[in-house]
Amino acid sequence: MTRILLIEDDTETAEAIVAELAERSFEVHWAPNGVEGLDRARTSHPDAMIVDRMLPGMDGLTVIEALRNDQIKTPVLVLSALGAVDDRVRGLRMGGDDYLTKPFAIVELIARIEALLRRPMDSRETILLAGPLELDLIERTARRGEREIDLLPREFRLLEYMMRRSDQLLTRAMLLEEVWNYKFVPATTNLIDVHMGRLRHKVDAPGEVQLIHNVRGSGFILRARE
Amino acid sequence: MRHIQFIRSNTFLWALAVAATLALFVAGLFAFVYQKLDNYLIARSDRMITTQINFMSDLPHGRRVRAVADHLQQDSRHVHYVGLFSAAGTRLAGNIDRVPSGLALDGTVQGARLNPLEAAAGRGPIVRIVGRRLDDGDVLVVARNVDETREISSVVGQALALGVLPAFCLCVLAGAWLSARAQKRVEVVNQRVQRIVAGELRERLPEGNADDPFARLARIVNSMLDEMETMINALSGVGNDIAHDLRTPLTRARLALERGRTHAVTLEQLQEVTDKAIAGIDQSLAIVTALLRLAEIENSSRTAGFGNVVLDEILHEVCDVYEPIAEDKGVALGVVIDRSVQVWGDRDLLFEAIANLADNAVKFAPPGGQVELELKLDDGRALVRVSDTGPGINEQEREAVLRRFYRSDKIRNTPGVGLGLSLVAAIIKLHGFRLIIGPAPGGRIEIVADAAREGKTRCIPISDLRSRKREVDRTIRGRLDVGTCRMSETEFRCVTSSLVAGATASLLGSVNRLGMWEQ
Repeated sequence: MTRILLIEDDTETAEAIVAELAERSFEVHWAPNGVEGLDRARTSHPDAMIVDRMLPGMDGLTVIEALRNDQIKTPVLVLSALGAVDDRVRGLRMGGDDYLTKPFAIVELIARIEALLRRPMDSRETILLAGPLELDLIERTARRGEREIDLLPREFRLLEYMMRRSDQLLTRAMLLEEVWNYKFVPATTNLIDVHMGRLRHKVDAPGEVQLIHNVRGSGFILRARE
Repeated sequence: MRHIQFIRSNTFLWALAVAATLALFVAGLFAFVYQKLDNYLIARSDRMITTQINFMSDLPHGRRVRAVADHLQQDSRHVHYVGLFSAAGTRLAGNIDRVPSGLALDGTVQGARLNPLEAAAGRGPIVRIVGRRLDDGDVLVVARNVDETREISSVVGQALALGVLPAFCLCVLAGAWLSARAQKRVEVVNQRVQRIVAGELRERLPEGNADDPFARLARIVNSMLDEMETMINALSGVGNDIAHDLRTPLTRARLALERGRTHAVTLEQLQEVTDKAIAGIDQSLAIVTALLRLAEIENSSRTAGFGNVVLDEILHEVCDVYEPIAEDKGVALGVVIDRSVQVWGDRDLLFEAIANLADNAVKFAPPGGQVELELKLDDGRALVRVSDTGPGINEQEREAVLRRFYRSDKIRNTPGVGLGLSLVAAIIKLHGFRLIIGPAPGGRIEIVADAAREGKTRCIPISDLRSRKREVDRTIRGRLDVGTCRMSETEFRCVTSSLVAGATASLLGSVNRLGMWEQ
């Protein structure tokens, strides 16, 4: 069972997160302040941590810094009400692995925790495989079984990102940040959907098993397993 | 109150210092006059007695006694002394008792104190004296009283002293008067400022008619207050806009929830209601996020993320992102690049600005229309033009579109939070570039940027009141430096900068309070 340590001072938020994660069969421990959280992190070795940035006593970034100084490399998702680009950069620089601004959707939190737990495939790999899909990173070619898929550079990057994280829910925000390198929310809200529609059209030809799935209200999944 | 007293004593010190300088100057003047006069009179006496002794020496022995008597008789002011002595030292004629001891009898003039006949008892006068042993062995001594030099000096000294005393008093009085006057005016200003601090934004400092530094300062501060009042009013206007735009989706969410709570009977109905509510909340959140982003850019004066940015890359990237969306809408999106151009700026922000422009252009171009992203190097300046075949922005709306939440009535029903162009404007301002909105029909927005250069781009966001204050400070300082009223300059500076700082701080406080929505 995957163990998660949540350090969050707001009881209601914490309870909601604990309940949602428990429902998805995570084992969650909750620490209401930084000092206790740091203690727990050192002793119980969780698989991943969710740390609120503003905590009474010792703030979240200090907790992460202390852990990193102890060579504890547990992946950390930073939660914060500070959403400015600068705050985000600081949070990541201090040792956070991902940064989520409050308020957030629960699915977004879960998707990001799962992404942290399942680190992507070895990045030295030059050929990515996911189900019938094959992506040659050197030749820049994509195939589905015997069929050659003709992709634009942006579509190629999108498919590469999805194949590295196959069978994982990828939210629109994650895709925007990671694939499009967006540091802001675009005015056109269906930007990702349009691009994803193009890619899906090329990957899933008529009559073939659908690989790219739209999860309503949350994001997309590339299902490689049967 | 304490620092006003300090200023008063300070002014007095200034006045005293000036008075002391004046006294010193007068003393120096006196010494100079005395020295010059003394030298002049001694030289004249020396010349006179040398002539006389020469004249008398040349006379034959017999006529000398007479000449001496004559000479003394003519001297009505009794300043001349002559003595004719035999070789043995007995007085033959004249009004000098005996040959003064230590007098060189070789015709050189020297100063000495003389014991003449009449004043044998008291102290003799100070004289310039010359003596000579004549060919026949007699000794002739001629002297002239130089005590009158001292008399003249004392007269001059008295005159100067008479002059310096009133001047000194005048200095001190002027100092006191100026101090009292300045203090009174500071007190008036202080009262007004207190009222402004208390929230009476319409209050102004008294300007007066005179063109003295104080009045000028008051005018400067008043113009700053005008500016701030306008800004605060504008902000409260924006506050209303924000409240409206935030309340609309929240109202929808609330209504949906309320209706769902009473009417929903199945799980599906309840989920539908919840989805609606979440959508409403998300829209409010999107507005808050956009506003925070806008504030972040507007208040940022940092150029830490600045570097050389290749504009053609950004244009290609933006086209890449929006191409499928344009295609879905049946709009042709194209990039026209003259040549590669670099500018000094923040890559992410410039991307955001151009993406926003492209987003708008695609949104407003009619199906079958065209959107073009163009990059040119024109006269050393980079020009990014985003044009579309949509309705464009008409003359009256050109300024309004840069305002927050402005959405033309014609396009009220187009989705979006209405902050796009304000954001673009803020980014462009941060870079020190220019944003030009072209005439309708057809949307056309240009960003004009200086091509890459070393060093930092100047950037003062207008909304940054602190930089405004610095500007005002600088102006005040500049004005005071050329001010005529030197004596109270220090005091002006001290009081006004603290007043300006206090007023600005409190005004900033109110601005921040009013701008809570955004900050």
